[in-house]
Amino acid sequence: MDFNALGACFTTPACVVTQATSGLIVGMLLFLVAAGLTLIFGVLKIVNFAHGTFYMLGGYVAYSAYVATDSYALAVLAGAVAMALFGVLFERVLMSRVYGSNVLMQLLVCYAVVLIFDDIVKIVWGPEFRAMGMPAAFQVPPLFIAGGVVPPFYAVLIGIAALIAIVLSLGLSRTRLGKTVRAAAVNPQMVSALGVNTTVLFAIVFAIGGGLAGLAGALAGPVRSLSPGMGFSILIEGFIVTVIGGMGSIAGAMVAALIIGLVRGFGTIGFPGFTDGLIYIVMIGILVLRPQGLFGRPL
Amino acid sequence: MKRNPALRDALFAAIVLILLLAIPMLHRSPAFEDFIIRLSAMALFATSLNLLVGTTGMVSFGHGMFYGFAAYAFGLTMQLTELSLPVAALFAVALTTIAALVVGAICVRLSTDYFAFITLAVQMLFFSVIVSWQSLTGGDQGLRGGIPRRRIFGFDLGSQLHLYQFCAIVAVLGLLALRHVSMSPFGNTLRMIRDNAERASFVGIVLWRARLLAFTIAGGFAGIGGVLAALFVSGAYPELADWPNSGQAIFAVMLGGINSFLGPVLGAMILLALNDLVQRFTEYHGLVLGIVILAFALGLRRGVLDFIHLVWSKRAR
Amino acid sequence: MNVEINHLTKSFGGVRAIDDVSLAFPSGSLSAVIGPNGAGKTTFFNLISGAFMADSGEVLLDREDILQLSKTERMRRGIGRAFQVASCFPTMTVRANLMAAVTAHAGRWTSLSHRFPSAGMRERAEEVMEFVGLTDVADVEATILSHGDQKLLDIAIALALEPKVLLLDEPTAGMGPDERWRMIERVRGLWERRKLTLIFIEHDMDIVFKVASSIRVLCYGKVLAEGTPDQIRNNQAVIDAYLGAEENAS
Repeated sequence: MDFNALGACFTTPACVVTQATSGLIVGMLLFLVAAGLTLIFGVLKIVNFAHGTFYMLGGYVAYSAYVATDSYALAVLAGAVAMALFGVLFERVLMSRVYGSNVLMQLLVCYAVVLIFDDIVKIVWGPEFRAMGMPAAFQVPPLFIAGGVVPPFYAVLIGIAALIAIVLSLGLSRTRLGKTVRAAAVNPQMVSALGVNTTVLFAIVFAIGGGLAGLAGALAGPVRSLSPGMGFSILIEGFIVTVIGGMGSIAGAMVAALIIGLVRGFGTIGFPGFTDGLIYIVMIGILVLRPQGLFGRPL
Repeated sequence: MKRNPALRDALFAAIVLILLLAIPMLHRSPAFEDFIIRLSAMALFATSLNLLVGTTGMVSFGHGMFYGFAAYAFGLTMQLTELSLPVAALFAVALTTIAALVVGAICVRLSTDYFAFITLAVQMLFFSVIVSWQSLTGGDQGLRGGIPRRRIFGFDLGSQLHLYQFCAIVAVLGLLALRHVSMSPFGNTLRMIRDNAERASFVGIVLWRARLLAFTIAGGFAGIGGVLAALFVSGAYPELADWPNSGQAIFAVMLGGINSFLGPVLGAMILLALNDLVQRFTEYHGLVLGIVILAFALGLRRGVLDFIHLVWSKRAR
Repeated sequence: MNVEINHLTKSFGGVRAIDDVSLAFPSGSLSAVIGPNGAGKTTFFNLISGAFMADSGEVLLDREDILQLSKTERMRRGIGRAFQVASCFPTMTVRANLMAAVTAHAGRWTSLSHRFPSAGMRERAEEVMEFVGLTDVADVEATILSHGDQKLLDIAIALALEPKVLLLDEPTAGMGPDERWRMIERVRGLWERRKLTLIFIEHDMDIVFKVASSIRVLCYGKVLAEGTPDQIRNNQAVIDAYLGAEENAS
């Protein structure tokens, strides 16, 4: 623990900007992953343990698309669309068979998928680390805000994620589909009694969740390297965000993702080597004080 | 014998133990003995988890914490003190039981999904502490230097045969004790809570107290498994307390069957055998394991022993 | 046991589900609680049994206020209850259900010293089974019992705890006309033999008027009327608010 360094950072604008930016990057990517997780849980009451795999595959698909087309935009699109389709496939072929059975049975199916695709990635892309590299368009001098270094790509990434957050929340509150999804999260029986085709609804929810996770994996391409098994750590953090925010709450996921991102950003200075531990402490504290999470409905 | 189920279980355990002890006298097979040594730790670990999952309906994702905790407690006690092996082992298990009581006190009041996540978080916190407290635990390199003073009662736990005998005895006795817990009035209380917690509280059961006691007992028995694990890996590693290790126990429980007492033991056997087999034939062992798990989950839809029970009772009807 | 309720109030999110209710149930009485759907009848039971904590008021059990006690504590003081949706332990046989209940009641539920069941528990479970007439299905798993037998088992579990006051939430719910009468005769029989203070919620007016010696009418969380069957039958407020509406509907 190094409180002096942390104190010094907080009094230096440059340090605050730098750490906050890197924290925001982490937070925004986490939000995209957690939003899907929380949406799927909200509507289907299913904890999707294979969500990290969506993220990983999204990253790899984007990597290949980038290598083939040399266009970052196309790569991101490819990652998101491919994972939306994969989400539907995953839901229809596998998860729909274990609805209503034990939570652990669902966990088992998800874990099998995680194992299988970790190895498929090894076979297709190889076991070594892969990196997309910074696209040429972003290879420009960094921005300086209050003396802090902000790479332009970071700014773009934060912007895109924020945009998606807005689109997502508008979509949920304004569109017919969004209203159905929210209603289903509150009362699934009612929605099916109203004649909504839940089969289609569930597939759509998995498509959105998969698409968001794939998008996150693809967007992260230039700043994070790819490796088989990378889905696991993002899955755990996605859970933490979901639980802290309140399972089923998109707004909660946003707030919690930012909290975790910032704890990570500044934690590396105050608690080097123990940032993970710090995050678990935050999670345990919140669960003890407010078991339903920050934005969750009381149990 | 039917009249006294406790005696029947004890006899069954005695027969299994005698068989296990007799096998090396007839034929020495290092691979088999190694398998049983690893199985003994895993079986205790998985069966203790099932006291929570199958018997009480509490899904814990963090059970590996107590397995790892005991391994470190035992390894450190042996390295840092002059205590003899059995005393150190008992001390480690007692410490683990207390740890389970403390963790349980925080966790058991939360409802199902949140209980699963908070146990996972506590375990991950413990894992982070192990990895970052390098001066004590050796960090991610694990607790090296081995376990000293392995001679007890004429046993030399450095030799594979003696370790095999020791593990077989501890595991069989441990499982018998767990069986007793599961068949006691308290074990029945746990089944009542699983079946209908609301009704259970209306017949006078204080839910959190029963759940906490179950969590503590399960943690203690996982600790016994952890001590055995520390013995055969000659130390302790963060992986013992990591998430995938809890996952292994969950899969053992699910593969074998949550509603049969011996289900988790069978599941541990299947999982270990599967790991060994697949590792021998392919480097893509996750791929094969994943497909097998899928076949189990989507084909049988329940653990092997539960499936057999189901088929059996259908035929009987 | 004498049950006296004074100024009992409970709100859910601003809606007063039970609003200043004061009622007395003399020891050994057989009373019905009636009222239209949403009148607060089940909430009333939940407050007496401790499933919910009341916002204010008193629940006196032989003059002792039990409002602050937990449901387990209240159960020990002699309040038993059966549920609208039969509540038992589905994976256990009828016998095991009752052995489980008597074991818990004897305070043996954390016992690790011996195998289940403890000595004497089998016999006590047997007694209860015989008393309610479930001996024929003693070894049947609760989940495959008929609906009526499940309701009976729920009541039997409550009886196994030797209550002084028994709250039955619609003992005849979901039954056909013949089955209803058989059920209510059994309830009446056990009330006579056990000398309980028995309070039941019931929708079937024929049953209520024939069986209950006194009736309480709840409406929108308030007491609308109380009295003997004859008094209730002729009470204009009750007819307007409840019976009249029922007749119009049918």
